[in-house]
Amino acid sequence: MTDIIRTRLLSKSYGNAEVISNVNMNVQAGEIFGFLGPNGAGKSTIMKMLLGLVKPTGGEIELFGERLLIDSREPLKRIGHMIETPVFYEKLTAVQNLELHLEYMGHHNPKAIREALDLVQLIGIENKPVKQFSLGMKQRLGIARAISTRPELLLLDEPINGLDPEGIQLMRHLFKRLRDEWGITLLISSHLLSEIEQIADTIGMIDNGRMLRQVSMETIHSSKTDYIELVTTNIVHAAYVLEEKLGIRQFKRIDSKLLRIYDTQLSQAELSKALILNEVHIESINRRRHTLEEYFFDKIKGGDQHASSHPSGA
Amino acid sequence: MLHLIRLELKKGKMSSHLWGSLIAYVIIAAFIALLYFINDIEIEEASFRNYTELFQAIDTFVRATFIIYSSVLLAKFIINEYRDRTMSLMFTYPISRKKLIMAKLSMVFLFTFVNVIAGNLLIDALYIAIDTQIGKIQDILTVELLSKHAINVLMQAIGAAGMSLIPIAFGMRKKSVSTTVVSSILIVLIVCSNNMGFSLSSIIAIPLTLAAIGILIAYFSFRNINQIDVG
Repeated sequence: MTDIIRTRLLSKSYGNAEVISNVNMNVQAGEIFGFLGPNGAGKSTIMKMLLGLVKPTGGEIELFGERLLIDSREPLKRIGHMIETPVFYEKLTAVQNLELHLEYMGHHNPKAIREALDLVQLIGIENKPVKQFSLGMKQRLGIARAISTRPELLLLDEPINGLDPEGIQLMRHLFKRLRDEWGITLLISSHLLSEIEQIADTIGMIDNGRMLRQVSMETIHSSKTDYIELVTTNIVHAAYVLEEKLGIRQFKRIDSKLLRIYDTQLSQAELSKALILNEVHIESINRRRHTLEEYFFDKIKGGDQHASSHPSGA
Repeated sequence: MLHLIRLELKKGKMSSHLWGSLIAYVIIAAFIALLYFINDIEIEEASFRNYTELFQAIDTFVRATFIIYSSVLLAKFIINEYRDRTMSLMFTYPISRKKLIMAKLSMVFLFTFVNVIAGNLLIDALYIAIDTQIGKIQDILTVELLSKHAINVLMQAIGAAGMSLIPIAFGMRKKSVSTTVVSSILIVLIVCSNNMGFSLSSIIAIPLTLAAIGILIAYFSFRNINQIDVG
């Protein structure tokens, strides 16, 4: 598969403060790349660098297989975007804003506006000036503007911010449709794991300007390990029994009452029986699965160590 | 470039500025009327002894007005687009940033140029018409005088149009609308103030030099625009 976006050791600093540090990422054609990270991690800055709005202080960017230069304008024809809160000419109507956009993009398809507004289900507002729009409506209009030129690459920064649950669901379907029917490659950022989990094919985890890990959803699903969670009043005794009597070494003390046992050779029933026989008082015992959330936080913690030992990033 | 200017015109209702210009002409004409008629009672000597003085007064008023007016347009086209962050949207279009800015600056240049000429033409014509009825001005209107004046107006219009770009250098520093407008007022005070019939603009080389400076300043303000981070 070809890479639509590739960055190598991409960095950006303002004075001494490094906000993006040695980011390597690869976004493949036709996938939805979920850009996951807390607020202020550098997601928007990277997107702005892809658009040439912010100039990198180190490293390089390749878009559509060509190196992005300081005044590259050509790739911009092929990109649709919505970065942060979308801005419009507030006195103009939605349609006038889209008309201007298409003119500046050099895209001449009279049906494009109608089509884009229909896709985001923004109907019956065409003649209202944008300043009368709610945040959610502006968000929808922003997405409509981004897709109106049928770009090959779509950069969406927190696209579901300000949308109601119905709108969120609509967008989720829309993003998948754009990928499947129009063949668009999407880079979507969010700080919400659950959101990214539902739409992305690949996830890039970013924190503090560093790409911690880039991993496909398939890998995450397959690496979700099972474990048994044990709540007991006497954790020291329980640990002793597990290790000495049952020969289980793969367990982890989470807090003063909670143990996680990763050795899944033993069934839950066998384990509880063995524990009771050894006089471990069990308050509860459950089989659990790793969620993406835990996976993420594991990586963020582990990633910090990783990044500091290897300055070139993940 | 023309296409870009056309798109700029689509963004804001430029018809309001057409009305703005007309209102400005009326106000200037009214000011001139004060000078033209008021001395009847108070001073013995007429304010305008000849046509040259009349034309000079009209020209000064027109230029002062439109240098300031165009600073408002500069603020609207450039400073406000930065403040509203629509400039960062503009800069994601596959069009060179310099061209986008050039389109905006040339609109301001043209606006000043056209208005200085049209303002002079209309108000001059009005007072020539009035004076043929009232006859306060003593000298005779010759073709030579008119053609000399026409050339002068043309030069002054170029001068004013170039000078109208100077405020952008000040306004861009902090992306401030008020700085832009205030600096245009300062420019007017320096260039157009009249001292016993003499002002800096009477030596035609001065406004033309300032115009060249204005164009240079505008160029240098945006010279590095491709390297600058936006929003």
